[in-house]
Order: sequence, then C-alpha cells, then structure tokens
Amino acid sequence: MNKNKKSLFSFRKSDQDVSDTPCSDRREFLSKSGKLALGASAVIVGGGLFSPNSFAAKKIGADANETLLKLARDIYPHDTLEDKYYVQVMSPMAESAEKDPELFKLLADGVKLLDNTSVEKYAVSFTQIETEQERVAVLKILEPTPFFQKIKGALMMGIYNNPEIWPLFGFGGSAWEKGGYINRGYDAVDWL
Amino acid sequence: MSAKFDLNDDSLVVIIGSGAGGGTLANELAQKGIRSVVLEAGKRFKMDDIENDEWKMFGKISWLDKRYVVGPARIAEDFPNLPAWIVKGVGGATMHWAGVAMRFQEHEFKMKTTNGTVPGANVLDWPVSLEEMEPYYVKAEKKMGVCGTEATGMPYHGKSSHYKVVAEGAKRIGAKCDQAKLAINTEVRDGRPPCQVNGFCMQGCRIGAKWSTMYTEIPKAEATGNVEVRPQSMVLRIEHDKTGKVTGVLYADKDGNQQLQKARIVAVAGNSIESPRMLLNSESSMFPDGLANSSGQVGQNYMTHTTGGVYAEFEKPVHMYKSTVVPGIVHEWSNNDPTRGHFAGYELEILHLGLPFMSAFLNPGKGGWGRELADSLANYGNMAGFWICGEDMAVESNNITLHATEKDQYGLPVPVVYKTDHINDTRMRNHAYDRSKELFDAVGALKVNNLPPYPASHNMGTNRMSEHARDGVVNRWGQAHDIKNLFVSDGSQFTSSGTENPTLTIVALAIRQADYIADQMKRKEI
Repeated sequence: MNKNKKSLFSFRKSDQDVSDTPCSDRREFLSKSGKLALGASAVIVGGGLFSPNSFAAKKIGADANETLLKLARDIYPHDTLEDKYYVQVMSPMAESAEKDPELFKLLADGVKLLDNTSVEKYAVSFTQIETEQERVAVLKILEPTPFFQKIKGALMMGIYNNPEIWPLFGFGGSAWEKGGYINRGYDAVDWL
Repeated sequence: MSAKFDLNDDSLVVIIGSGAGGGTLANELAQKGIRSVVLEAGKRFKMDDIENDEWKMFGKISWLDKRYVVGPARIAEDFPNLPAWIVKGVGGATMHWAGVAMRFQEHEFKMKTTNGTVPGANVLDWPVSLEEMEPYYVKAEKKMGVCGTEATGMPYHGKSSHYKVVAEGAKRIGAKCDQAKLAINTEVRDGRPPCQVNGFCMQGCRIGAKWSTMYTEIPKAEATGNVEVRPQSMVLRIEHDKTGKVTGVLYADKDGNQQLQKARIVAVAGNSIESPRMLLNSESSMFPDGLANSSGQVGQNYMTHTTGGVYAEFEKPVHMYKSTVVPGIVHEWSNNDPTRGHFAGYELEILHLGLPFMSAFLNPGKGGWGRELADSLANYGNMAGFWICGEDMAVESNNITLHATEKDQYGLPVPVVYKTDHINDTRMRNHAYDRSKELFDAVGALKVNNLPPYPASHNMGTNRMSEHARDGVVNRWGQAHDIKNLFVSDGSQFTSSGTENPTLTIVALAIRQADYIADQMKRKEI
C-alpha cells in the first residue's frame, strides 16, 4: 500500500541540501554563500552538474551532465536565476552518486530514459530540443518516475528554501531576532 | 515543583497527551489538588528549540510516525503518509496552531435538528448546548488570553498589510471581514510578552506570545506539585480489570522499556488519530472491538474541516509574511444557509505561508513543477490569500483503522486514515473558491490560485459525544458510555466540526470536564 511513494518528510530527510544547514549569523551566512559560489563555479565549468573531473562525471558522460542541468532549469524555470542556484542544489546529489551506486544508476538511467523519450518524440536528445514547451512535453511523460520526483523534491527544497533566493522572491525569512515586524512595516501597503 | 509518582500508585489520573485537551485538563485538576501523570509521546522542547524556519520546525516537531492516507481524495495521492499536520512534543498541537480562538455558533451544536438527516452523512446533535458552554468559553478565553474578547479586554492586533488587502476586497463585494480573535497576547499578560509579529506562529511562537500548553498549563500544573509529565512515553495499551474499569496504562518509555502506570482514572487526549488508535489497540477478550466501542463508533466520523487554499497575485507588494499568520476572518458565509447549495458554514481565514511552504502547497504532489508554478512563486511578495475552513459532515466511512499487518517502531499496528469529501463538502469548497475569486478580483488580482486541501491540523470526531450510547463513544462530559473511569479530552470527542478552529472548544470542554471529574471523585462515583 503506497510503499514506494515518498512522504513530504522523506525527501526532506534524504536530501542533505545546502540550505538545510543553519546560518546562525550574518558572517557565517556569508562564508557559507562564498563556499557555495566557489563550489558552484568549479562545477559549472563542465556545463553540467557533476564536477568535470569527478569519477561520476566521467562515467555518466559530459552530455548527461549537461542534460541534468537543463532538466533542473525546466522543472522550476526562473530565467533571472543564475545556473549556480540550480547547481548548488544538484551537486550534493551528484556527489553522493559518486559513492552510491543505486543513486548513480537512478540518475544515469533517468538521463537515458529522458533522451530516449526525446528521440522518440522529437528525434533529438533532450538538450537538443529547441523549445521549452516541447521539453515540458517530454518531462510530463517522465513525471511519475522516481528519477524525476527525486530531482524535483531536491530542487523544491534547494530553490525555495534557500535564504539567498528569498529576497529575490519577496520573502523575509527569520524575523524574531530582528524584533519581528511590529516596528518594521507590518501594516504598510500603499496601493489600495 | 514537578512531582514524581510511583508506577503502582493507583490513586492517580493518567492523562495521555499534553496538548490543548490533556495539558489543560492536567492543570485544571492540579489546581483543585487532583494528582495526575501526563504521558506524552513526544519530546520536551525548550524555547530555544523554536526557530523561524518552516522546514526545520516541520522536521523537528511534527508527528511523523508512519501513517497511511487512503481513499479517492487528492490528499491520498499528494501526501500518502501524512494525513495530519500535528505535533509530537510536550504542548502537542498548541505549539503549531495559529492561535485562532472562536466560539462555536449555537446551531453548530444542533446540526441534526437544524438540517434534518443529511443523506450519506452521520450527523448528530451534541449533547451540549452553546448556552451551557458559554461560561466555559469565557474561562477558556481568560486562560488563553484571547484578544478582542470581553473576557480579557485585550485589544486586537493591528491591521497588517495582508489584512488590509483582503478587507478591502471584502468591502468591495459586501462581505463581512474582521480581525481575528487570537490567543496571542497584544499586551504583557500572564507573564508572557505581547506579539512582535514574527509571522511564524505555526512553527511555534519563539517569544511565547501565543498560548501553548508547552509554556503555560504544563509548567503551571507542575508548579502545584500535583503533576508529573513524562515525555517520550508512547502508550501501548490501556488495561482494565474484570469489572471493565480501566486500571492503568502500559507505555514504552524513552529507552523503549515497557512500564505500567496504575490509574484511578484515564483521560485520552492524543488527537483524533492516536486517541481512537489507543482504544482500538486496547482490545481484549472482554472488549474485542476495542475499549469503549460498544457503539462501533471508535475511529469513525473522522472530520478535518472542509479546507482548501486560495492565493491571489497582485501587481504590487503585499508582503503577507509580515503579519500574524491569521490576521483576520471573512465570515460572511459562516452561517447555516442551505440556499447557498450546501449545509453549514465556512470561514475564509486570511493566512500566510512562507515561501518554502508555499512551494510545497501551491500545487502539491507530483505535478507541482513548471513555469506557471515557478512564476507564481517568484511573485510570492505580491500574494495574499486564504485558508478555507468550513464545517465538514460526519461520515462514518471516514475513519481511522489499524493496518492488518504493518507495525510501527513501537510494534503497534500502523494507523490507516480514510478521508474523502461528502458531496456537501465539495459544494461548500467550490462556493468558497468562487467567492474568494470574486473578492480578490474586486481588489485587482492578476491571477487567483486554488490550492487543494493539505494535511489536516484540525482533526475531530473519532470518539464522538452522543446522548445515547448507541450513537457515540462518550457522554456529554467526555466520559466513555461504556467505562465510567475512562475519559476522552481532545477534539476526537467533537460531535460535529463547526466551522471554527477547534482549540478554544477543546480547552473549554477540558475545563468543564475537570469540574465534572473532581465532582465525581468527591462523590466516589469514579
């Protein structure tokens, strides 16, 4: 009975995404962001998610690596967000895949299925599909798979639970340590 | 000073659960000199454990033991293992609640008399009236510190931007909207500070402005010396003697060792999934269908309110997160007016989620991805919205049962929750979606998103009150029809759900029940 379905909690637990780590003060927050940016730039060189020199990247191949990034951007497309925000979600997963054959297989097989489906539907691999609309049509087919849902779950946490992104989308985050909003504009609205 | 009682002390009341029902009952009894042990399945958190972080607090305090949701409703697909969004910890769901404290309306105690038989539903009148509850509502409002009431004289919270946007829309369509009566201080009261508008009421109030038994009833009860709270104590079964009276409670302590605490009286207050589950798990040769279940109603009539969400996007900022979570209520449709096409009423509770939870609930489940969703989430700062909270019909087949084979970490059968709409619920929700859209369009919404129900924080009805033993589990005092020293003290005793958030009524019932228990003990009836 529903054994294979993931609870809201299980993806939270299993994906050790970076935004999960508490930042107790501003300095620590900045230092963490710095580390992330560094890590991200190392990964981005390859145009994909796995560090280009990593065992996994070699094994999964440069194309698959690029495919995963494209996929990530299509799941939660925000044109104004740089690649690094997507990469910093996916890198921890890619890193674990280097040590976790089951996860590696999930990702590698997933990419293969994605490309095969793309070829079937549009006669080109996923990254070669030109329009987002057509890529979405392919992704709709993959939507029920554990591969797709795993990546979607990690991205949801990594994008929308990322304090770096909150100000861009208009969310304030933790407030108690700043005295809440009682003296910081809780009643301000000027367009009614 | 906290008491320490012997396991063999059979003069005690054993209270299972420390939330709105259990925590209040323990303190009310303690103030009268009646001694109790409170068995709480969860940990004891400190104020420092409370953070303004949605996912972190979700992971920290939620009840996440294995459960199944089954049935044709979308929630079974979206959240197959999370029927309810409640708390495992000292304080129970009073850590998580948003503080909304409204009294039931008169007709809500008499739904069968008001509407007659509703086909496909199992509607019943409460054996209690509003008139009888009123003095207890006053006591509950005083205890909890409900703003905007005569009982406290405490003013409302100010009007937040989120409130103002909705109130303007309500005004333009001629719908009544008022600030919410919240059990959240607006002045220093009862040793707790006023609200500073952190906007994270449902993650636990970091400063203790919101009433929670975690830092009100429980420490007050302990200070009498009449109460011992035992956290991380998961009840396995309630024991009885051959006369059918309950005699004690078997539980697993924090180290996993089984302990048997003897009892003069047992009060069950583990919320509407665990409370019936305990009674069912306590089956015996004398009670083969579970304790207090001669009616067959234990676990039945599970209600969660008719819910849903509506979030509108505007051109300009609302910053709804800068507000108490529920700043106001549109209560135009809270009455019982069948000409709307449905029985009973609903409230549109102005309510914000943070961006992290909005991403999980705006379009939950497997299909929640893609550009439309991403665009809406990027527009989070310009959103305003509601949580729909309406009365749902008691339906016998909406229930809590025990899994036939699968056991949890305590060796107990995993609970299986079946919940789906009665047609009245569907009609009500659609009515609420339509009115919400009108309201938001009137104030210039660019887009209005309808959200399906998410895991229930209001869980009711699975050990319901009834006048006759054949129709329900407990009598008008929450006392089991079948076993007179067994009580139910939480929302599972609700006969109907009302449209109002249940906590105030749970607390009022617990205060009233404590008076009754004290009286019955004095008379040696129990």
